[in-house]
Amino acid sequence: MKELIEYISRSLVDDPEDVFVEEYESGRHVEVELSVAQKDMGRVIGKGGRVANAMRSLLRVAAEREGKKASLEILEP
Amino acid sequence: MSKEITTEVTAPSVEEALQKGLEKLGLTAADVSMDVLDSGAKGFLGMGQREVRIKLTVHDKTKDDQREPAQNISETNVNLRQDNVKESTSASPEKDDSSIPPQEELLLERSEEIVNTLLELMHLEASATARYDDPDREGRKSVYLDVKGKDLSVLIGRRGKTIEAFQRIAALIISKEMSRWVRVSVDVEGHRSRREKQLKGMAEKIAKQVASSGHKQNLEPMPANERRIIHMTLEKNPHVKTDSVGEDPRRKVVIEPNK
Repeated sequence: MKELIEYISRSLVDDPEDVFVEEYESGRHVEVELSVAQKDMGRVIGKGGRVANAMRSLLRVAAEREGKKASLEILEP
Repeated sequence: MSKEITTEVTAPSVEEALQKGLEKLGLTAADVSMDVLDSGAKGFLGMGQREVRIKLTVHDKTKDDQREPAQNISETNVNLRQDNVKESTSASPEKDDSSIPPQEELLLERSEEIVNTLLELMHLEASATARYDDPDREGRKSVYLDVKGKDLSVLIGRRGKTIEAFQRIAALIISKEMSRWVRVSVDVEGHRSRREKQLKGMAEKIAKQVASSGHKQNLEPMPANERRIIHMTLEKNPHVKTDSVGEDPRRKVVIEPNK
């Protein structure tokens, strides 16, 4: 699941080296935390959070395939 | 020391501007370095559009004889990436060979690869084939991706919400690589074409009602590409006119009688 968010974020930002993704599992719930360079925040969030919400939709599908629930948190730099 | 030769070019995209500039100079990309002076603006409905403006600087031959061609290719690519950054700094030492923007000919190939990577990372047993779609408003190539596979209703999602998200992400990644906005539509097992047919039928049915009753009707909120289908279907209908009202994601089409 982490890989999906990693791939999307690295493809969208200007500084792919500054993309960090962590995954925390508790039971059937997986929390994915994403952090990017300050100047790239807009690229992963998007206008009105559209990019972030699109990533959440895709993450949900990936999680469902493993019988899990996932959430995506974008960390403030 | 010889004087630097520079030229400024404007075009709809960075790649076109580079092409134009190189033709003008009669040189290849390896002979010049590029600065993006203005990364342009897409505008809205043809308003507020601004072309991309770049500056090409011809390398000083006298001291550049030693340079390796490969190095210059990546240099050009680093500069190309500045299309995405507002300010243009002339000498950027960072090199990132993994994100070399491919040529326009690679559009279909890369679109397919990107979408297949996404599908794989979503653990879906599916694969995509890309072809060119109708050109966009500015006449540039756009991409249609057909996804086929097993159990793809999860990819479509309720009211097509998931496929909207998938298409948005795919379009952003493809556009970023191409350094221009690429219109992308992703179809899953013919879902989009079925939906298009359904929307056209609905548009015509409601237009008929509006024309005979003389009362305007609001449609359900829809994403931009679906609203576009409604507008285009009724564009030539003399009895009604269409408009969009509200804010996304609640933006909807209104069909009014044409007096």
